[in-house]
Amino acid sequence: MTFSLRGLARILVTLLMCVAAFFAGRALWGHYMSDPWTRDAKVRADIVGVAPDVSGLVSEVLVQDNQPVKAGDVLFRIDPARFTIALRQSEAALAGSKATLEQAGRELKRYEKLGDVVSQQKTEQAQLALDSASAALQQATAARDLARLNLERSEVRAPVTGTITNFTVRPGDYLAAGVAKVALIDTDSLRVEAYLEETKLNRVHVGDSVTIWLMGQPAPLHGRVESIAAGIEDRERTIGSGLLANINPTFSWVRLAQRIPVRIKLDPAPEGVNLVAGMTATVYINQDDKNDVSKNDAGKSGAGKNDAVKNDDGKHGDGAKQSVAPASR
Amino acid sequence: MTGEIDIYGVYVPTLLALMLATLAVSLIVRRALAWAGFYALVWHRGLFDIALYVVLLLGVFNLSRWWLS
Repeated sequence: MTFSLRGLARILVTLLMCVAAFFAGRALWGHYMSDPWTRDAKVRADIVGVAPDVSGLVSEVLVQDNQPVKAGDVLFRIDPARFTIALRQSEAALAGSKATLEQAGRELKRYEKLGDVVSQQKTEQAQLALDSASAALQQATAARDLARLNLERSEVRAPVTGTITNFTVRPGDYLAAGVAKVALIDTDSLRVEAYLEETKLNRVHVGDSVTIWLMGQPAPLHGRVESIAAGIEDRERTIGSGLLANINPTFSWVRLAQRIPVRIKLDPAPEGVNLVAGMTATVYINQDDKNDVSKNDAGKSGAGKNDAVKNDDGKHGDGAKQSVAPASR
Repeated sequence: MTGEIDIYGVYVPTLLALMLATLAVSLIVRRALAWAGFYALVWHRGLFDIALYVVLLLGVFNLSRWWLS
């Protein structure tokens, strides 16, 4: 009797431990596989490629590499001599056409005074001369304005507030118009983009609070989900030379969830954190504000796992759309 | 939770470190259980040990999350 009771206890203790292990394993699985977090996130910023509007030699460089600039600050000057000369030339042309116009006006007045003494044809010709001189004056004015604009544009200014990066322009460089030479990082556009697996997207909502750990930084940053990308490239499909769809015929047995960019707006960063576009980040999307279940509980109970599995089995293309809908919990 | 742990410039998932830590913890716990004679109450020692390991892993995981947050 004692022996069998002892045997039962032995089996019970072992089985209890196994059941506990099952739930513990499920909780861990829930955290690592279903909770919306990713190690694959980057700090990003919009980069303005500043290009000179006119070609020419760089005469003066007013900024340094990695210097913060305000919108409107002069970055560098292109040698204005050519544009100054062009402006003078166009001003001279303008003065000339002004004189021509005045002369044509006087001539017309004279012919009109003479009345019937001159032929009507002569009067009309004088009128024509006046009109075309007036048009020529307008043209000369426009040419002068253009020359003035070119002179103004020989000063290259920062279009947005930001930081200059990888700046290599030196005085004496010849720059072609329209070729971007300065990378200006728009500091107002600094954000984090988390590349979340599509299986986790249905647990991400616009407005969710986010904890961001930058690689190697001791303290986290915070932010909110701003938006979710509406589409990503279909890797299985290209357009063939005959303009027809070319679908990759190999379909792998093992599939990997694709990554969808989720844009995160950063709260004002704490002092001493220097955000550099391109930094690696680990992003946790907190679920406790929208759903009153805390992240820990969600992991323990395994709730939401079913949603993720459903998404994985189902059509992949719907991943982005589903994310907009509220969680089914 | 930083999601990864820095080992001389190599960033590995925290889970790896947690598993190693749990291994150490489970060795100690098993030694203690054996010393207390608890294994007399265990049916399959190997099965019990592996289940114990998973439970301890969750414990270590939650501990690290609580400590780091």
